[in-house]
Amino acid sequence: MNMLEFAMQVFRANMMDIPLINPIVEELMSVPWLNLVVALILWRPFFAVVVMPGLVVIMLYLLYIIWFERKLTARIQWRVGPLEVFRPLRGAIQALADGLRYFFQESIVHREAHRPYFVQLPILAFIPVLLPIALIPAGNVVGIKTPYAIPLFIALLSLIPITIIAIGWASNSRFAFIGSVREALMYVAYEIPFIIAAISMIYLYGSADPYVAVEKQTIPGALLNPVACLVFLISMLMATSRLPFEIPEADQEIAFGPFVEYSGMLFGLVMVLAYEKLYLMSLLFTILFLAGWSGPQLAVLGDINAPLWLVVKTLIVISILSIVRSMYARYRIDQALRFGFSWILAFSIIALAIGVVLGYEGGI
Amino acid sequence: MKAEFKAKKLEILKMHIDVIREAFKQAFAPDRVTVEYPRERKKFPPNFRGLIFCEREKCISCFRCAHICPANAIQIYFHDKAWPGIDYTKCIFCHFCVDSCPTGALRATKIHDVAFATMDEMKLRATQTTKPPEVFREDSVTVDYSVDERGWSLVRVKERDELVVEAPPPRLKRRVSYCADPESCLGCRLCVEYCPSDAISVDRKANKLRILEEKCTGCGICVRNCPMKVLELREVR
Repeated sequence: MNMLEFAMQVFRANMMDIPLINPIVEELMSVPWLNLVVALILWRPFFAVVVMPGLVVIMLYLLYIIWFERKLTARIQWRVGPLEVFRPLRGAIQALADGLRYFFQESIVHREAHRPYFVQLPILAFIPVLLPIALIPAGNVVGIKTPYAIPLFIALLSLIPITIIAIGWASNSRFAFIGSVREALMYVAYEIPFIIAAISMIYLYGSADPYVAVEKQTIPGALLNPVACLVFLISMLMATSRLPFEIPEADQEIAFGPFVEYSGMLFGLVMVLAYEKLYLMSLLFTILFLAGWSGPQLAVLGDINAPLWLVVKTLIVISILSIVRSMYARYRIDQALRFGFSWILAFSIIALAIGVVLGYEGGI
Repeated sequence: MKAEFKAKKLEILKMHIDVIREAFKQAFAPDRVTVEYPRERKKFPPNFRGLIFCEREKCISCFRCAHICPANAIQIYFHDKAWPGIDYTKCIFCHFCVDSCPTGALRATKIHDVAFATMDEMKLRATQTTKPPEVFREDSVTVDYSVDERGWSLVRVKERDELVVEAPPPRLKRRVSYCADPESCLGCRLCVEYCPSDAISVDRKANKLRILEEKCTGCGICVRNCPMKVLELREVR
C-alpha cells in the first residue's frame, strides 16, 4: 500500500492539466484503484510516450495515412480507391479491416528462414521506432528531457534500417536478400545528407535542444534555411522508401523486398515500419523547420495544446508528402545513389554553410 | 555544348513543376469518369439494346419476330394466342425483332445486368417475356457524360432512370388482309385455319372468302401461307 501511495504521489506531482476534462478527472480520482490508472495515463512522461505524440497517436495515424495515401493516389490516377469498408466515410477504416485480417491470418515461417530472428525481428524493430518518441518533447509533455534530444533522436532513427536489413537476412530468400542489399545501398545514400541537414539546423539554432530550436523559430526554420528543408524532405522520401526512391521495396520487381516472406500479423508489423519511420522523421521535421508545437493556444485544452499542434503539423506534412507517390516513377539504384552522393550531398553542404553563417556566435 | 546542357536542365525543372501542378490539380478536382455502378447508373440512350419485353395487349401474334431473328432465338409458345419466348443463350441482342414488330409490342429495355442460375433458366418462356421484368435496383443517382472542348466530365442527377422505355408507336398505317384474285382461289381454307383472330371465313353461298376488317389485325399469316399467293395486305383508309 505504501508503494502505491508513493507511485500516486509521483504521478500526481507531474500530471497533465487539461481544464476541459478536469471535472471528470476529479470525479475519477476519488475512486480507489481507478485513480491510479487515471493518474498514470495523465502522468506527463507516460502521456508523451504512450498517448499523445506516442503509441496511441501512431496507431490512429497509421489508420489515417494508409487510407489517405491510397485514396489520394487513386484520385490522381482517376480511380476510386478503397470504398466498400464503411461507405459513409468512403472506406475510411480499410486499414483497420486489413489489420484485422492480418491478425487472424496464419503467419507462415518457411523452412529456409532463421526461425528465431525471423519471428523476433519485426517485434524488435519497434524498439528503435518507439524509443525516439521518448525524446521528442511537446511543450511540457516530454518523456526524457535532455538537451541532446535531436542527435539522440537521429541516432535511434538510424537503427531502423539495420533491423530491416536483418529482417531481409533472416528471411533467407533471394528477393529478401536483394531487398536488404538495396536497403543498405539507400541507407548510405541518404543518411549522410540527412544528418548534415539536421546538423545545419542545430548550428543555426546554436543548440541541440528542441526547446531552444522551437523558441528561436519566430520565423519558421523552413524559411531560414530552405536548402536544408529541401534536403531533409528528399532524404525523408529516401529513408522511408517512398516512390521516387522506392528501391528496397520495389513491388514490381522484388515484391516488397526484405518483407517478401512475411505473412499474417508479422507482415502487418513490418509493413507499417516505413510509415512509422515517416511519422518520426516528420516529427523531427516539424520541430526543426515548422516551429514545432508553437501555435495559437486554447485555454480550455491546457497542457494538451502543445502535443496537439505538434501532431497536427506533422500530419499535414505527411499528407502533403504522400502526393509524391503518385507523381514520380522509380529511380534506378545507380541513379538514386548518384543523386544522393552528388546533388543531395552538395545541397546539404550548402545548407550546412548557411546554418553556420546564420548561427554564428550562438545562434540567431 | 555547355549551354545546351543548361537548357536541358531548365527544361527538366519545368517538367517537374508541371507534374507537381498537375498532381495537385487532380488531387483537388480529379477528371475521373468512374461510375460507381450499383449505386449509380449510367444514363443510356432510349434505343439501348438490352433485355426484350413483350407487351401482352399489343401483340398480334404475327410471328415476324420469330421469322426475322438471325440467331433463331425466338420460339413461339401457344396459349390463347401465340406469344414469343426468347432464348437468351442464343440471343445476340440485335433487336431486329423489336424493329420488325408492326405494333410496337416488343420493346427494348435498358436492363443490361441480368444473371441466370442455370442454362435452362435462360430460355424465357412466353409467360416470362410478357411480364414486365423485375429489377432489384440499388441506384439512386443517374450519371450522364457531358463532352465539351475541355474534355469529359460527369453530370450526376439525383433521380432514377426509367429502364423500360416507352417507345413511340410505329408509324405504320393499319393494314388488313384481302383477296386480290378470287378467281384463282383453290378453296383450300388454309387461311381460315391459320388466322389467329378468326377474321376469315368462307361464304358457302357466294363461294368466296369473307374477311372481317374489324377483326383482322393485319398479321399477314394468311398471306404467307396462301398456296396460290392471292392474298395481300392492303392499307385501310
